[in-house]
Amino acid sequence: MIYHRPQSIDEALALKSSLGQRARFIAGGTDLVVGIRKGRTTVDSFVDLSRVPGLAGLTRAGDTLRIGAACTHAQLEREGITALAQACETVGGPQIRNMGTLGGQVGTASPAGDVSVALIALDAVVELASVRGTRSMPLADFFVGPGRTSLEPDEMVLSVTVPTNRKSVFYKIGKRDAVAISVVVAAASVSPSGDVAVGLGCVAPVPFRPRKSEQMLRGHPLTSERIDAAAAMAASEVSPISDHRGGATYRRAMVETLTRRLLRTLADTPYEGLLSVAMSHS
Amino acid sequence: MSNIGRSVQREDVEGKVTGETRYGGDLRGPETLTAAVIRAAHPHAKILAIDLAPARAIEGVVAVLGREDIGGTNRHGLIKRDHPVFCDERVRYLGDALGMVIAETPEAAKRGVEAVRVQYEVLPVVATMRDAIAPDAPALHDFGNVLATQLIRKGDAAKSLAESDVVLTHTFAMQGVDHAFLDLEAGYAEMVEDVVTIHASGQWVHEERRLIALALGLALERVRIVQPATGGAFGGREDLSIQIYLGLAALTLGRPVRMQYTREESMIARHKRHPMEIEYTLGAKKDGTFTAAKVIIRSDEGAYASTGPAVLRKAVSHCTGPYRVPNVEADGVALFTNNCPTGAMRGFGACQLAIAYEGMVLAMARALGMDVVALKRKNLLRDGECLTTGQVVPVASAIDCLDAALARFGWADRAREAPSPTVRRGYGVSTFCFGVGYGDGYPDASRARVRFADDNVLEVYSGGVEVGQGLHSLLAQIAGEEFGIESSAVRVIASDTARTPESGSSSATRQTVFSGNAVKLAAGELHRQVMDAAAVMLGLHWEDLVIKGDRVVGVHHESVAAPLAWVLASARERGFLLDATAVYKPRTVAPVDDSGQSPRAFLTYMFGAHIAEVWVDIETGEARVKRIVAAHDVGKAINPREVAGQIEGGVAQGLGMALMEEVVTRNGRILNASFTDYIIPTILDVPTIDAVIVERVDLEGPYGARGVGEPPLIGAVPAVLAAISDAIGRPVHQTPATAERVWTIMQSPEPTLVTTWSLS
Ligand SMILES: Cc1cc2nc3c(=O)[nH]c(=O)nc-3n(C[C@H](O)[C@H](O)[C@H](O)COP(=O)(O)OP(=O)(O)OC[C@H]3O[C@@H](n4cnc5c(N)ncnc54)[C@H](O)[C@@H]3O)c2cc1C
Repeated sequence: MIYHRPQSIDEALALKSSLGQRARFIAGGTDLVVGIRKGRTTVDSFVDLSRVPGLAGLTRAGDTLRIGAACTHAQLEREGITALAQACETVGGPQIRNMGTLGGQVGTASPAGDVSVALIALDAVVELASVRGTRSMPLADFFVGPGRTSLEPDEMVLSVTVPTNRKSVFYKIGKRDAVAISVVVAAASVSPSGDVAVGLGCVAPVPFRPRKSEQMLRGHPLTSERIDAAAAMAASEVSPISDHRGGATYRRAMVETLTRRLLRTLADTPYEGLLSVAMSHS
Repeated sequence: MSNIGRSVQREDVEGKVTGETRYGGDLRGPETLTAAVIRAAHPHAKILAIDLAPARAIEGVVAVLGREDIGGTNRHGLIKRDHPVFCDERVRYLGDALGMVIAETPEAAKRGVEAVRVQYEVLPVVATMRDAIAPDAPALHDFGNVLATQLIRKGDAAKSLAESDVVLTHTFAMQGVDHAFLDLEAGYAEMVEDVVTIHASGQWVHEERRLIALALGLALERVRIVQPATGGAFGGREDLSIQIYLGLAALTLGRPVRMQYTREESMIARHKRHPMEIEYTLGAKKDGTFTAAKVIIRSDEGAYASTGPAVLRKAVSHCTGPYRVPNVEADGVALFTNNCPTGAMRGFGACQLAIAYEGMVLAMARALGMDVVALKRKNLLRDGECLTTGQVVPVASAIDCLDAALARFGWADRAREAPSPTVRRGYGVSTFCFGVGYGDGYPDASRARVRFADDNVLEVYSGGVEVGQGLHSLLAQIAGEEFGIESSAVRVIASDTARTPESGSSSATRQTVFSGNAVKLAAGELHRQVMDAAAVMLGLHWEDLVIKGDRVVGVHHESVAAPLAWVLASARERGFLLDATAVYKPRTVAPVDDSGQSPRAFLTYMFGAHIAEVWVDIETGEARVKRIVAAHDVGKAINPREVAGQIEGGVAQGLGMALMEEVVTRNGRILNASFTDYIIPTILDVPTIDAVIVERVDLEGPYGARGVGEPPLIGAVPAVLAAISDAIGRPVHQTPATAERVWTIMQSPEPTLVTTWSLS
């Protein structure tokens, strides 16, 4: 097993391009190493992204924040984007948040990825790079199945860009208050023009946006009737499974409950108020 | 100053905090081999053939051992000796062992295990207790699938229920729970001359030696067990685990061997807390006086007996807890399945029953429209009344604990308003009791040796193991007390079958009372030896002498004084013995017949009361425990800080059982055998725990002490469930009360508080 520590993004891309499929990017290793230990993943060589200069940058431009793939959850807790901060705060424990990265989070493509759910609810755009060049797409389209993404074998996640002018909010139901894989997780945001985006986790093969529900809200004020209808619609759009963490009936019901709760919070709370909104009653 | 009642610093904390302490997994010797166990691939199957040869061919593999390498009975087990070391004909659960691989490296050992080829004939899986009693169920043992039955017959329950004003019946279900200690099964063994010396953590070194000698066919003197530092046990180290594999490997190869389970292996192989189903009928008069109880208990035993029969007896004998119930009919049955064996865990059957009787008391309070605290007061036992077993309890202090807890909680002024529109506040009160020691006439003794060593240091020798509870420093406190010596100056030599006397297990909340008394007795005898020697040397009657500080002085002759060190040295020169051994072996009595009645089923009983405040999100079912007050009558807190520590730890573990912990088993397979999926509380889940120490002197224990290990867990679970129930207005009779379960209860059409209901 070979461990590469490239000194630049270009070097990392060149390495990946020449080493191919069984070379894996490793950032925090909090998903990859667990997978290897469980025998789910076999790896010939690692390309370490955790210390590549320029990959952990945060760049604000206009109403957007560009987040480098190697940014850690701990960093993002402090960036003032409510849903993202709330999501990052709930990831694992302090050790995991100091190691785990944005690139690893979306690269893992877990349907239970808390941060991914917050990001798709922020209408985030992901930027991919390879020796062949770069391309961008909505993050929601980047996920194609559990553990499967749109990445080509030679591509890496370079950054994710989120708007900074949306009100947003996040809620996670886990089995305990830290280091818990979500049972159901949801996030929602609204743009200054009133467009609503919702992200749902653990209720579909990928972090999921209930498009019909969002459609129902487009161009309408967030009245409580409309919110209730949209929440019910969201529940009809998801396809949860039952596993030892939770049953499908509960998960579907929680999609409705959380969607309603988050949309009400968005409707009721002025922009500035949102960072201090205590979503959890603890 | 007295050692007793002082929060002295334990001798082991510094090493644990600095990381210097060496646990089982840290031990190795020169050129140490690594061993790994070959486990079953099916929960139930006939073994047709085992081919070990492919494993032997793996590079780095030194030996592969199977059934034929075992000289003795090949069986162990604390009560029945039914657990094969290596299975010969059949596997009965996924943790069953078929053999072991010993290799130069852990990796080679793992590859060796994977290379073994086993041919099975897969048999139908007895997955549930219902499967176990089905007419066509495969018999898992020669005598069938019923391991044990246990009854209580007191008064006439049927008649009394028929005459009661209110009769309620509810069903309860409790999950399997893992001990989840952090220090995985790990250890090291080597041959010292012809003695197999095993360094691994258990709970009763002398019993482990007996079981290993028997199973491997060795003379007792050829086996030595030494307990290293241990990171938690909770009953989970009572059954044998790696000790026997380590012993077999070292014995066969004559080389040092180490091994360590993975978390997954630990969870699959180690016994669990018994899942139980309990059907409970409680009758009362209109004024709330309890009249009768009828209790049916079914206990999932898993594949082997372990301590199952004793757990079942503890369950039935605690079926009405601390309440006065004149007529009782209880039927307990323990059934074999192809699940992980179930055995000892903190609470030992009494904990499941506390969930049931406290659930019934709450239901009764609601049915009668009575305040639950008032209903408890009416029915809690008072001093000198008798338990379900007919045993009289001289100190029945549940009431004292209840009063102490209510006062500390500020019960009268508790907040009532909802914290938010979707969050409700609930309060729960539990009262409970727990019998100390093995009980029911099972031989239960602690021995201790106390002496002055040649360097004049006071030494305590005890077989009792330290598993995190602070036993050794407690024994030092007691020994030192007799001589006015600080516990930190006492040397404790413990838990080594070659050097220490047998002191029974660190379980059953027994060591404070049992080993505490043994040490106190031995120290008393040593004191007499010293005073006799001093009397001879100083020319005074031994009753005219006392130890004061580091001197022996005359009581009435102040001019007579000699340094204690001089007395000890001179005594030794003159051939006086400064070495005393004592045994504490009180009597308990087995029930005479199927009535389960016994004048002394357990040595003594501990009582307690907990109050929990829980906030429940009524839309999601999430419950958060905000505060717990836990009052326990410990008789005398020899080390109050350690008592509080046991209470806090037990409460945290109880929260886990109440809210989140659950071994999920389908068709004999554990679905969540890892700490990713088996969820235990983190520090963020544990609220402020107020430990209230009540001290009503015990008649048996040293200085009136009663022990505290298990009860804190027992009280926490029903208190939390009652608080959730208070918040949502529905009964919660199943554990764990996960968000989903609480939500599901709230969705059920109408509160099913009362299933049988007759008020004449
Ligand atoms: C104890 C524990 C608790 C956890 N709790 C949570 C939780 O509460 N919520 C949650 O959402 N997650 C949780 N996780 C999962 C994990 O921490 C996160 O998904 C984290 O974001 C992964 O980041 P990483 O840098 O460690 O990824 P790595 O393990 O380094 O990589 C993960 C995957 O992404 C790929 N990858 C990494 N970087 C890139 C890149 N730039 N481009 C392309 N591919 C890339 C890797 O090749 C690999 O396939 C937890 C994990 C553990 C071990």
